[in-house]
Amino acid sequence: MKRNTPLLTLLTGGALGIALLIASMLAPSSKTPTSYAAAATTPSSTATAVALPSPSTAASRSQTATPSANAPLRADYAGRVKGGIHASVAISIHGTQAIAYACNGSSVEAWLKGTAVGGRLALTGKNGAVLTANYDSRRAFGDVSADGVTYSFSVYTVKKPSGLYRAIADVRGATIKAGWIVLPDGTQVGSLESNPGAAAPSATGAPALDVAAGTAQDGSTVLHVTQISGVTGTGF
Amino acid sequence: MTAEPTRPIPLPPQRAASGATKIVVPSLIGALVALTLGIYGRLHHPTGIAVNIAGFSSPGSVKSWLATAATVFAVVQVGSALVMYGKVPRVAAPSWIGGLHRWSGRLAFLLAVPVAIHCLYALGFQTYSTRVLVHSLLGCAFFGAFTVKMLILPKRGLPGWVLPVVGALVFTVLVAIWFTSAFWFFSTFGIKR
Repeated sequence: MKRNTPLLTLLTGGALGIALLIASMLAPSSKTPTSYAAAATTPSSTATAVALPSPSTAASRSQTATPSANAPLRADYAGRVKGGIHASVAISIHGTQAIAYACNGSSVEAWLKGTAVGGRLALTGKNGAVLTANYDSRRAFGDVSADGVTYSFSVYTVKKPSGLYRAIADVRGATIKAGWIVLPDGTQVGSLESNPGAAAPSATGAPALDVAAGTAQDGSTVLHVTQISGVTGTGF
Repeated sequence: MTAEPTRPIPLPPQRAASGATKIVVPSLIGALVALTLGIYGRLHHPTGIAVNIAGFSSPGSVKSWLATAATVFAVVQVGSALVMYGKVPRVAAPSWIGGLHRWSGRLAFLLAVPVAIHCLYALGFQTYSTRVLVHSLLGCAFFGAFTVKMLILPKRGLPGWVLPVVGALVFTVLVAIWFTSAFWFFSTFGIKR
């Protein structure tokens, strides 16, 4: 009878949903993880994510780099990129969320946000910045593209005071956003954007960060710095 | 589907069950559906995986294409509804327009269900960016709104504006969901796989 067909539609959809949910629960956990990383893997290619891996590349990648079951729920990684003198990357994972910062100490830098699920990271940032990586309890490895440059990296977990720091301040109407990566040897790599809201914000080297005090002096302005840590959850 | 009566229900004796009740009860049920989805998505620990559909390069790609197909059918919904209501000048509603409207709606809904299950099971209700928060909220709201639409559809004696308004709401929410997910996915990672 016509009267009941909308209800029938609803119930069919509900039944389909429940069936898929049960199928998902029964699915072996070795299946491909869902993070968009598999789709977004751009193996050390040029900046844009339009450069696409063939399905076989993606498949072989996910086989060689099987997402580990021991993917941590909370972790902080930092280190230099491959072949980089200064360029570094820091990644913080808190649950299924991830924040990353890549920076060469001057003009190239990007803040990225995204998901960390099943050992795969998929993050995006402004101006087409993309980071895809695998991670386990020891290290994170993958590629990050920012400002037209692509870096490969393999970085290890770090403990405070090493890690990622951020400062956002309003100075005479202009916003300043600065980021620092503090490496295990104490080296700081940081950049400062004077107008992060602009279409193409210009970045310069950041002033020295006083890790103990949590401040940095930018000219006459004192920047108050927050640590971004997936382990403690600060900055998320 | 199961124990639902297959013959017309005789008019209940208390015909005074006002138009308001006919809207309020389905709305409450719809709200309950949306709330249930949201709470499940928030409490269930996202697994990152769910059953996969073969033939696509990644779950994100599957979902984006399914959602795009659902959105296309939703556009057919609006078009056929406009024709049915005689809002398209010089176009008389053909006899098959009702069937087109019903089946495009059913297909759109059934295409959206696997996408939603994957979202809920693998990714969960998330708030880490504006896009993701809006998408999570609207994703739950969509199935609530669709439930309302389906429940009030067979009701008689409702004001004429109710169905178009609820239908427009369902459509708007779906398109917003599409923009915060599939459109984002395609513009971030590209269309060709």
